[in-house]
Amino acid sequence: MDWDGVPGLLETKEDRGETTLVVETATLVEACEHLRDEHGFNFLSDITATDYLGWPTTTSRVAGYYGTAAGRDVNAPGSAGLARLPGDRPKRFSVNYHLLALVEGAPRLRIQVWVDDGEPVPSVVGVWPTADWHEREAWDMLGIPVEGHPNLVRILMEDDWEGHPLRKDYPLGGEPVRFSEEE
Amino acid sequence: MAIRERKKRTRLRDFGLQSERLLWPTKGPGVFEQEIGVDQLEQRLMLTTVEKAVRWSQANSIWPDTFGLACCAIEMMSIVSSRYDIARFGAEVFRSSPRQADLLIVSGRVSHKMAAPLRQIYDQMLEPKWVIAMGACASSAGMFNNYAVLQGVDKIVPVDIYVPGCPPRPEMLIEGIVRLQERIKGGVPPAYEVRGVAS
Amino acid sequence: MAIVERPARAVLDPSVLRGDQPLYSGTKIPEPVPSILQLPEDLRDSDDVMQVNFGPNHPSTHGVLRLVVDLLGEEIVGLRAVIGYLHTGFEKNMEHKTWWKAITYPERIDYVSFQNNELVFVLAIEKLLGLEPPPKATWMRMLLCELNRIHSHLIYLGTSALEIGAISMFWYAFRERDMILDLSELVTGARMHTRYFQAGGLAEDVPRGFYPECRKFCDWMPKAVDDYESLIDRNAIWLERTRGIGVLSAEDAIALGQSGPVIRGSGIDWDLRKRQPYLAYDEVDFDVPVYTHGDVYDRYRVRMEEMRQSTRVVAQCLDRLEDMEGEPWIADDRKVVLPPREELHTSMESLIHHFKLVTEGYRVPAGEVYVTIESPRGELGCYLVSDGGPRPWRVKFRAPSFVATPAAATLCRGALVADLIAIVGSLNTVMGEVDR
Repeated sequence: MDWDGVPGLLETKEDRGETTLVVETATLVEACEHLRDEHGFNFLSDITATDYLGWPTTTSRVAGYYGTAAGRDVNAPGSAGLARLPGDRPKRFSVNYHLLALVEGAPRLRIQVWVDDGEPVPSVVGVWPTADWHEREAWDMLGIPVEGHPNLVRILMEDDWEGHPLRKDYPLGGEPVRFSEEE
Repeated sequence: MAIRERKKRTRLRDFGLQSERLLWPTKGPGVFEQEIGVDQLEQRLMLTTVEKAVRWSQANSIWPDTFGLACCAIEMMSIVSSRYDIARFGAEVFRSSPRQADLLIVSGRVSHKMAAPLRQIYDQMLEPKWVIAMGACASSAGMFNNYAVLQGVDKIVPVDIYVPGCPPRPEMLIEGIVRLQERIKGGVPPAYEVRGVAS
Repeated sequence: MAIVERPARAVLDPSVLRGDQPLYSGTKIPEPVPSILQLPEDLRDSDDVMQVNFGPNHPSTHGVLRLVVDLLGEEIVGLRAVIGYLHTGFEKNMEHKTWWKAITYPERIDYVSFQNNELVFVLAIEKLLGLEPPPKATWMRMLLCELNRIHSHLIYLGTSALEIGAISMFWYAFRERDMILDLSELVTGARMHTRYFQAGGLAEDVPRGFYPECRKFCDWMPKAVDDYESLIDRNAIWLERTRGIGVLSAEDAIALGQSGPVIRGSGIDWDLRKRQPYLAYDEVDFDVPVYTHGDVYDRYRVRMEEMRQSTRVVAQCLDRLEDMEGEPWIADDRKVVLPPREELHTSMESLIHHFKLVTEGYRVPAGEVYVTIESPRGELGCYLVSDGGPRPWRVKFRAPSFVATPAAATLCRGALVADLIAIVGSLNTVMGEVDR
């Protein structure tokens, strides 16, 4: 497929049979409209935001240490534990839009934009009305403000909740489990 | 009525009720007997004929409230169905209005957002009322030890019976209800009285 | 209330359409917020409008959905759905568990079709790992997921009929549902939330005696569906309550992101089992029911037909599985799958692998995948990001009910209060999925 016409396209990635287009945040809505009208992606399946705080990068690994995610990769025979790292991420958050075209062959596509903490993402509610609740969830859970959203309020947490639970610096919560021997 | 001198009776079977203590005759007083106080059992239990009749009818027509939240609600629905028929134990109808219900079966995980409606429903129920915490999530938050789930529903309502499981089989829930019926018939007061909390 | 004449939002490919489209001109999706039906201007200050809270605890069996409804007499003029009462923090909790332990979580998200949730998560892990399960595992997974589809539709049938007033359907539907859970218990040991799927195949072999029992169920089920249809399909009250109620056109359905029986009731021939076959769905023979009126009755018909078709698939899976007696049920990759217990006594490597897999867990190579399957509610997706470590970095479940709940605002436009119950029932939302 030829993605050259997509406005603001930065990068095309193909991995495990899936295509990811990284686009600029500013031209996201134009890119989405282009994909919907020209390429026929009329179905927005999902909007997922991910927080990459603490992602293992080349500067943060401890070589060969088993306990960390950046440690030895036992799945690679003969690598002697040299860590192969997943690579750097451009910014803290990625917002992924999973698209589907309802035609024969079910082509799927992922649009990815990268934002920093507090940087807003334009709303695609005008392109696919189903984006409404997905964007509210991205705001509620990860604190990604969505510009142009008609009703950006908390959806899953209570209205006066503080903090954005799915961020990596938000604690899991809960209470410590007490064992009877300790008492 | 003065309490006459009688032989020391400390176990449920001394009151003519079925209990696991029948299987372990040497086992000491059970948890709720200890809660009430083994030596106070006689004073706390009501043994007049009218009270016995009242308790019998309360136990045998205990109507649950429809408080199904999550997966346990599906298993709770299956005790209403014809295979594990709860109607034969007296829980004939599930009342939707808490004002008409006796038993609150909290089935499913209670999030913090839902905790306030849960307490409100409990408050709307009329005394005497009982609570069964069905499933691991209602008893102790189960596998969800996190920010979103209330860690055990007994933090906000006093619970009479805990039914473990994820989700508990319908027979387990029926056993919980039957045990509750035994407690009621034995004269054990509802949990809010036993624990001395607001109802 | 007049339908607002705005151009339809979605452009549809004619190859997926059936019937005479469109069902109404323009779009019914409310503006400016697609998920909130707002009071019209002239009624804003009216005394006749009453705001009623269909609170999180209500007699209908949908779980904790709260609908704030503005009523003008019996007619709905404003609707807003409030969710979050069952928010459990699945996604965050799964980030703190190893891959193996995390498989117990997705089942409880959509607690009615639990096998499908497990399946989508396990398929996503396998896609990241590049691991291919053996055929026996694939066919058994398909069998259990189709049984789960019948289970989910039975619960839909029982509960939505109960709400509309056909109370006896509940007991008929739950009779078969208990049969399915018996089968599930035979295979996996648990009625619900079986935790039977592993990355690489199944947790254990299929026990003896399962195939004849399942065959008995497959022979019985079509007669049971005939029973249900004889009860309500031609019933005048049922037809009055469901025909012409909650009409959703194909364009609106696509714009609102609907999938599954909702769009198949609106005339779009879209089923991921046929269009994007996963497991072994391209090797079995079944039809996909598509109805064209887009109302509650058609969605009900779609689900009834799907029960019949799922029984066909289960029978075909049984045919194949009976020939696969003695084959492996899980992949052989020792970095991911536990070695068989007999080997632990003789092989040092197996012991070490067992130890590492149980304590630390297997590692999944870094990457991101988005896997979708056709759950009984529609397109269930799992977006999985791995950083190469023993725990997931990000798990997101695209729940079809999460997308269907805001559609209630579109569907309930101009409806009466009694229709609201029928419409929300026909969307077949499960609040565990909506709130996660």
